[in-house]
Amino acid sequence: MTSNGSNGKVSPFAGLRVADLSWVGVGPTVAKYLGDHGAEVIRVESATSVETLRRAGPFTENKPHHDNSGYYANFNSSKLGITINLKTEKGKDLLKRLVAISDVVTESFTPGTLTKLGLDYEVLRKVRPDLVMISMPLFGQTGPWAQYMGYGHVLQAASGFNHLTGWPDGEPIGTGVAYTDFLVPHVGALALVSALDYRRRTGRGQYIDFSQFEGALHALGPAILEWTANGREAVRLGNRDPEAAPHGSYRCKDGRYIVIACFTEKEWEGFRAAIGRPDWTDLERMRRKWSRLTEQKEIDRHIDFWCGERTAAQAFKAMREQGVPSGIVKSPEEMHRDPQLRHRGHYALLDHPTMGSRTYDSPAFRLSKTPGGPAKAAPLLGEDTERVLKGLIGITDEEFTELLVEGVLE
Amino acid sequence: MSDRSPGVPLPHANGALTGYRVLDIADEKGQLCARLLAELGADVIKVEPRGGDRTRANGPFFRNEEGGESSLFWWTMNAGKRSVTCELRTEQGRDLFHRLVGSADVVIETGAPGTSKSIGTDPRMLAKINRDAVVVSITNFGQTGPARNLPATDIVGSAMGGHMYLNGSDEKGPLRTTVPQAYAQANLQAAVGAVIALYARGITGGVGQHVDVSMQEAMANAMDNAQQTWDILQINNRGPGSGRMVSGRQGPRYIYETVDGWVAALSFGGLMGPASNAMIDWLADSGEAGPLASPEWRARLEVVSPLEEQEQKLVVGVIEQFCRTRRKDDLVRGAQKRGAGWAPVYSPREIVESEQLDARDYWVQVHHEDIGETFIYPGAPWKLSGTPWKQRGRAPHVGEHNEEVYGEILGIDRDEVASLRRRMVI
Repeated sequence: MTSNGSNGKVSPFAGLRVADLSWVGVGPTVAKYLGDHGAEVIRVESATSVETLRRAGPFTENKPHHDNSGYYANFNSSKLGITINLKTEKGKDLLKRLVAISDVVTESFTPGTLTKLGLDYEVLRKVRPDLVMISMPLFGQTGPWAQYMGYGHVLQAASGFNHLTGWPDGEPIGTGVAYTDFLVPHVGALALVSALDYRRRTGRGQYIDFSQFEGALHALGPAILEWTANGREAVRLGNRDPEAAPHGSYRCKDGRYIVIACFTEKEWEGFRAAIGRPDWTDLERMRRKWSRLTEQKEIDRHIDFWCGERTAAQAFKAMREQGVPSGIVKSPEEMHRDPQLRHRGHYALLDHPTMGSRTYDSPAFRLSKTPGGPAKAAPLLGEDTERVLKGLIGITDEEFTELLVEGVLE
Repeated sequence: MSDRSPGVPLPHANGALTGYRVLDIADEKGQLCARLLAELGADVIKVEPRGGDRTRANGPFFRNEEGGESSLFWWTMNAGKRSVTCELRTEQGRDLFHRLVGSADVVIETGAPGTSKSIGTDPRMLAKINRDAVVVSITNFGQTGPARNLPATDIVGSAMGGHMYLNGSDEKGPLRTTVPQAYAQANLQAAVGAVIALYARGITGGVGQHVDVSMQEAMANAMDNAQQTWDILQINNRGPGSGRMVSGRQGPRYIYETVDGWVAALSFGGLMGPASNAMIDWLADSGEAGPLASPEWRARLEVVSPLEEQEQKLVVGVIEQFCRTRRKDDLVRGAQKRGAGWAPVYSPREIVESEQLDARDYWVQVHHEDIGETFIYPGAPWKLSGTPWKQRGRAPHVGEHNEEVYGEILGIDRDEVASLRRRMVI
């Protein structure tokens, strides 16, 4: 928020201003990266068409209200919030004046929306020639699907994640989350920050046409080449892996699950030791990985039995002590209590005017010299309109009242 | 200078990161990160042991023939990099590596915390050698904390990062995505950390820093709103994934079987909310709207309001019937035309054949002159107007750029390179 992050430490993006016109998951998460690392991010919203996630839960005290949504809050830490009705001429003028003093514009409208409003890159670059602007709709600015709507849980289907998630004989159930909303922001942020670094060194801005679909495909590993080079389609394998045996999740006595993965012979030997080297592990067909790979059904049956006699904590301890890659399948509740995540301070606790003290996701990395992370709770709808308009854009008291009365700030 | 002129990597003079040098000693957790930096313009040098990097043995393989140069995993993750060999277990090897570090802007390493001193890749050591370098360490749980030394692979990251809990079913338990996503997430989030640290050199007087990335935390960031749902409502979102649970409420199924596969649709397929009337009209056109065509149902569905379980079943049943006799691309076109966000469930083949990607000229032809073939690779994740993305050719062979890199960067002549090779340093 401030030009310098907390504790008097320098923030990488100190002095950088961002007009964040994006909405829902992907765009706001990209802008959150900038805010969490010291940029002044101004989220531009509308009170006439309230952002989808402000209308989605979870709501504090179960009271649906646009200032109570945890879904919205998490994606909008370290930002200011203003409301402008961009359909009004004066609203458009205000936005241009904001862009003129900004370094970055982020947006995720359906392609063509900003052009219709007279606020696309070609227009905005005239008021800010070194602007870096990123557009990030589902399918990019062009092509027959450019106007398609949807959210991350249907985009994960188009981009292969449903096909590759599920049991081999079952439906393509997908990841259980709106997966691409939590994948492609990182891809988008990589381009945006790289473009900013280029601008830092050359003074040149640019426009980024980011298609969430096209970005997501880079997380499919070799599945694309498996088709284009081998003519073979990767399929969903439940919890198995084509290169490890055993590899899966197993139910323990207390109803919790652990996962176990043995890619190497060393890990297999560790696994054998962990379960007391029963006879079946010494069978000829269990001695080599290539042969164990065809015996997974039997292996899983043995492990299910072994786990069924132990709690997840006991089973995990036995594996851990032998150096076997394994872990407990953690629920959201357990994630909040996880000693490792606590040690890392992953969930930042921030005080919000109406929601109280709430947890926010932090970046997955710690920067040793310019640490970042959520610095301020999400803004209320229009919380900073007056401050930004008067303090930054230079609107007088009278003009402000006039804009209010005319409905420009809705 | 070498008189061999290797075909790769293709030059990239006008990328956003052109001019930076990246050393990549990473495993599955960091190779994609480094590759993306190469495609943004950086000179990425993969440092491998003489026998080749361990991940060259990762399947699947070209024509299913195992070998150090035929791993499709390797091809995918290391395309566009240079490769040098260097035995970090020898003193001379470490010395060579450290001299390369001296010329690097970014070093990406994935060694378990505290175990890399003996091979000279300890992050603190690297920072001492080159204080301007950004050292990116990508580990299972991060450099510090009680779990920092736990062994992990992708499925462990998916489990301990909370992701698997949100999928699966009561009968079959939690579920992982078959293509490793904990690895993908760690790579991508590390790349963001790396470029933020590069940007920060502008305010630190050019000094680099340590970027300490945790795969567990990367996965924890992919829990949709389950984190906040627990914090606010003390409810655990959970599977099954086919009926996404958000904000503590189990949604109806969102995937429907079609004649030729499956489609994914918004909650109730868009039959509830602003598109509902247009969608019901569409179903009614072929007499398949059932009771939903009635004025009562239309009024009920026009506003988004919770449905009783029986009502949910009825609506879902109508969509299921409708989809079962139609093709997925037709369904998606029809629904999108009526304002409902549907998408097809695509396999890799269908993705490669996608009309949208074709229209955007997405795919890249990558020539493998070594085997005389050309293959289709994924294309630009973004179209940057000033500094275009570029695919830089096939992945390197083991040590393919030894002469070139050691010559150009360290000024070691060819005889000396040959001697290092004889002494099994490179």
